Amino acid sequence: MSEGFDGTENGGGGGGGGVGKEQDRFLPIANIGRIMRRAVPENGKIAKDSKESVQECVSEFISFITSEASDKCLKEKRKTINGDDLIWSMGTLGFEDYVEPLKLYLRLYRETEGDTKGSRASELPVKKDVVLNGDPGSSFEGM
Amino acid sequence: MEPSSQPQPVMGVATGGSQAYPPPAAAYPPQAMVPGAPAVVPPGSQPSAPFPTNPAQLSAQHQLVYQQAQQFHQQLQQQQQQQLREFWANQMEEIEQTTDFKNHSLPLARIKKIMKADEDVRMISAEAPVVFAKACEVFILELTLRSWMHTEENKRRTLQKNDIAAAITRTDIYDFLVDIVPRDEMKEEGLGLPRVGLPPNVGGAADTYPYYYVPAQQGPGSGMMYGGQQGHPVTYVWQQPQEQQEEAPEEQHSLPESS
Repeated sequence: MSEGFDGTENGGGGGGGGVGKEQDRFLPIANIGRIMRRAVPENGKIAKDSKESVQECVSEFISFITSEASDKCLKEKRKTINGDDLIWSMGTLGFEDYVEPLKLYLRLYRETEGDTKGSRASELPVKKDVVLNGDPGSSFEGM
Repeated sequence: MEPSSQPQPVMGVATGGSQAYPPPAAAYPPQAMVPGAPAVVPPGSQPSAPFPTNPAQLSAQHQLVYQQAQQFHQQLQQQQQQQLREFWANQMEEIEQTTDFKNHSLPLARIKKIMKADEDVRMISAEAPVVFAKACEVFILELTLRSWMHTEENKRRTLQKNDIAAAITRTDIYDFLVDIVPRDEMKEEGLGLPRVGLPPNVGGAADTYPYYYVPAQQGPGSGMMYGGQQGHPVTYVWQQPQEQQEEAPEEQHSLPESS
């Protein structure tokens, strides 16, 4: 796979000036290129414009699924979009193949999160357990 | 003797599955050449009887060519479906073995930013970007795999933007992406294999315009490779439609050169 190195690493944004804000709408092209390479044989190459095209498609995918999940939360009078909402939306919008693998992934994630939270809590005095033991689907608005 | 008022059919050898043909419209003169067709049959050799519209009415030789073409497309589709089945099995296997949920192939903060771009979104749980990171990874892999299939069909080793366009055009679930890839690329690349989720011969080039098989006027020793087999060239004829269409034909786009 002969390809030039893309400057952006994990989470790297766009260039300077006004381009940075524009690039915030997309996931980093270096990360996308790395994932694409896994689906192409060793002797295959990936043109830059195809990476850019996939970059746009992924952002559209996120918006498409989020919009459906947001509507679901609105109907159910909930404020927070969680993993189950996203998986449900994918199933509704035709991505049925994604449902089972992602359900499994979410279950494993919740299990590991539960373990880490549990182990942290056990190191501290018992009376503080109530404060520390948040549910796995706790929401955040920061970042 | 007066010249016949019957419109003469236009003949040419179809050279590729993704060749763009003009839509039948009154604007086309009766003897205009089909764009991209490499040869014109001399007027004297054109059959006077109307052409058979059904492949079953063809001679055994051309029936065989037709069947070979159909068979090749079916084999290709089966092969691609098998690849996709293997892909999903691999994804499930990979997920089962996942232990690291701290490092992701895509940045969670950026995913959250894209989600937050929707004004209706109020709050996002901590697990939502994690699920999306995995979903997007799978989405990229699947879209790339489907695009690479088109790259291979065109005997190339470089994945191009038009391959992405082809994957989008052929796959039902990617309908929401039709505005992302330019329409001209969609038109060019949508020809060829049928759309996934539709029965064969729907959505492919074959049923778009009124073409008929006719015996090829071929010199000795010439032949054509189709799917790795030596065969006879498939000749298509486009007949002038009887009724005039009101709409003008769409703009013709030339195919991009493959690298």
